[in-house]
Amino acid sequence: MNKPSIPRRDFLKMTLDSLLAFGGLLGLAGLIRFLSYKTEPPQPTEFDLGLAGTYPLDSVTAVPEVPAVLIHNDSGFSALSLICTHLGCTLQVQSAGFACPCHGSRFNSTGYPIKGPAATPLKKLRVEQTTDGKLILYTN
Amino acid sequence: MNLQQINPRSSNSPKAPPSRSGLAIGLFLVCLGAMFILAAWWAYGVIKTGTATQATPTLAAPTPASNTARLAQPILSSPQNPTQLDQGSLVYWGICMACHGDRGQGLTLEWRAVYGEDQNCWASRCHSGNHPPDGFIIPRDNLPHAVTGAGSLTNYTTAQQLYDYIVVTMPWWKPGSLTPAKAWAVTAYIFKLNGTLPQGLALDATDASAIQVHHLVPASQNDQIGEIVLAALLGLVALVLILQANSKPKAVLVGSHQTTLSGELAPARPRPNFLLHLHPPSIPAEQARWSYTLGTGGLAIFLFLVLLVTGILEMFYYIPQTDQATISIQTIARLVPFGGLIRNLHYWGAQALVLVLFIHLLRITWTGAYKKPRRFNYLLGLALLMLTLALDFTGYILRWDQGTSWALVVGTNLIKAIPGLGNQLYEFMVGGAQLGSAALIRFYSWHTFGLTLAMIAGVVWHLFRIRRDGGIAVPPARLRRSEERISRVELVRREMLLMTATAIALVLLSIFWPAPITPPLTNTSVDLTNARAPWFFLWVQQLLKFGNPFLLGIVVPLVILAILIVIPYLFPKPADSELGRWFPKGGRLVQILIALLTLLLIGLTVWAILPGPG
Repeated sequence: MNKPSIPRRDFLKMTLDSLLAFGGLLGLAGLIRFLSYKTEPPQPTEFDLGLAGTYPLDSVTAVPEVPAVLIHNDSGFSALSLICTHLGCTLQVQSAGFACPCHGSRFNSTGYPIKGPAATPLKKLRVEQTTDGKLILYTN
Repeated sequence: MNLQQINPRSSNSPKAPPSRSGLAIGLFLVCLGAMFILAAWWAYGVIKTGTATQATPTLAAPTPASNTARLAQPILSSPQNPTQLDQGSLVYWGICMACHGDRGQGLTLEWRAVYGEDQNCWASRCHSGNHPPDGFIIPRDNLPHAVTGAGSLTNYTTAQQLYDYIVVTMPWWKPGSLTPAKAWAVTAYIFKLNGTLPQGLALDATDASAIQVHHLVPASQNDQIGEIVLAALLGLVALVLILQANSKPKAVLVGSHQTTLSGELAPARPRPNFLLHLHPPSIPAEQARWSYTLGTGGLAIFLFLVLLVTGILEMFYYIPQTDQATISIQTIARLVPFGGLIRNLHYWGAQALVLVLFIHLLRITWTGAYKKPRRFNYLLGLALLMLTLALDFTGYILRWDQGTSWALVVGTNLIKAIPGLGNQLYEFMVGGAQLGSAALIRFYSWHTFGLTLAMIAGVVWHLFRIRRDGGIAVPPARLRRSEERISRVELVRREMLLMTATAIALVLLSIFWPAPITPPLTNTSVDLTNARAPWFFLWVQQLLKFGNPFLLGIVVPLVILAILIVIPYLFPKPADSELGRWFPKGGRLVQILIALLTLLLIGLTVWAILPGPG
């Protein structure tokens, strides 16, 4: 009967190579952890826009630090992100919508793309009112 | 004679049917892999949960009922020898608690009720606009804030920032009246209240920029598990390398052909890989004796590689600006995962390299390996030694903390002592008329690029010359006592073994002895009373105590270098037959000279460390 076997040295070499490979993987994991540390604090996700009364009805107010626009209409307060859905440039507010200076995308006043390389509508952002009348904009 | 033992790559066994042995091996490897995956998961899991749940216990539950109990002086953990937290609790109780609450809750209604009939701070005029001379206003629209709990201390990210605020603006009625020690103590206490003070840490400027207000920075022992796993893996590799040892060569290799003892040519070997091809196919066994070379040359190369890799990794986080440098190092050492390991490896690797190069110089001069045709390579080696010292010095300066103030001020002022060129050289080194951000960025550029490029070029040239000059110095073949040779595979194996052993030692050093760091250097705090040079320049510091800085700090070291340079050219050398061992008779004069120089340097270094006047 045939007794299959592997020479001891080959077996040991295989074991050593597996150990080394595994060690290498562990080292790679450690390296990725090392390089993934973020030294800057994360961007804020809540913005205090002040008292609701400062934004009259039918106003569209740019909030550049987000960047977003605050819209006050009959259905209340809402916000649209001013980040172009094409490649992320900041949109410019125009009379009847928004325009992107980078590649010419255009959006209408509800954030829907009407021209240009952008194909998805602008992200709607949540706006809530606190008990003492302040508006808080959430980007998450 | 089985030639496979020289080249363990190939297997001579007949191809086994892929049934039971394959399954068995496969199963074994799967189990081995699973074991290690479990180990890694556990290690990673511990590290992850460590960051989430490890916290110093917050204060005990509030004392019940009795108001006087809440106002009582805190009990110290160590009354005979108060700790920083003890002092902090006393400062907080005596100065801060009345406004900020016994639990850091701020001037809440609940806290004010503790004061019974005095709970309305403004009613008795004490803290309103018309307060008596020793009262002060507490603004009603901006009450003293909470220093613990959700939403507190939102303006601060690090302990340093909180300290900077407290020491300047608190207490409210007498801002700036806290001594720095008291301000640090009360900052530490507030962190303890928030549960974000790492256990056992004495808070001061040394690491305050890496201690975060709102989440606990785990002590580096969490990384230690990963590091110990690393050391264990290296240990296993070392074990296997040792087990693979060939105690004596299995075949005598004559010329470039491999022959068995019966004289038949061996089958053609596969072409060597990159690592193997850097070495000659075989070398005389005499060249590769540990007792002869001590492995110092190979060790130096390995340490240099460690420094290159760890240095590049540190470059991802180090910031070469005077107000950010030390903070970025604190970030690397405390916050970045494995950052402490990388930094410590870099530090210990650098110190080990200087020591190893010194021993390498001793080995070369005490075995006569500097003689023709190796004279130029000897000079290359000296140049590399100078480059290494320059790299160590410039790297040391990059810390920009108070511990480096001697090196920074005295080291650069020494340049000014050179007659004629001194001031221009100083401005070249420092990038201006005085030390500042220009100096830091210059030292950074030299350290990470200028000197490193020169070092790499020098190392490559040095290694090339070793091959060209016939390898490590031993008597020529006709004079050699034995014809034994070892193959390149065996040579590489020995090098790997040395590297693995050194790696283990470095990792263990790095785990248990962190690299030093002191509070950041600010312009006003260059206090030179206890200043020390880096250890490899202590002999220069001692020399400078004797008088003229140019003569003692520049000329004397240059004279020593000049002596070293002329050794292969002006001094008697050992005969060819004497090479390959220590203290050959023919090189006696050089050996005595080097011994004297060594004793001089060591003596000066020890003298510099001894306590005493001056």
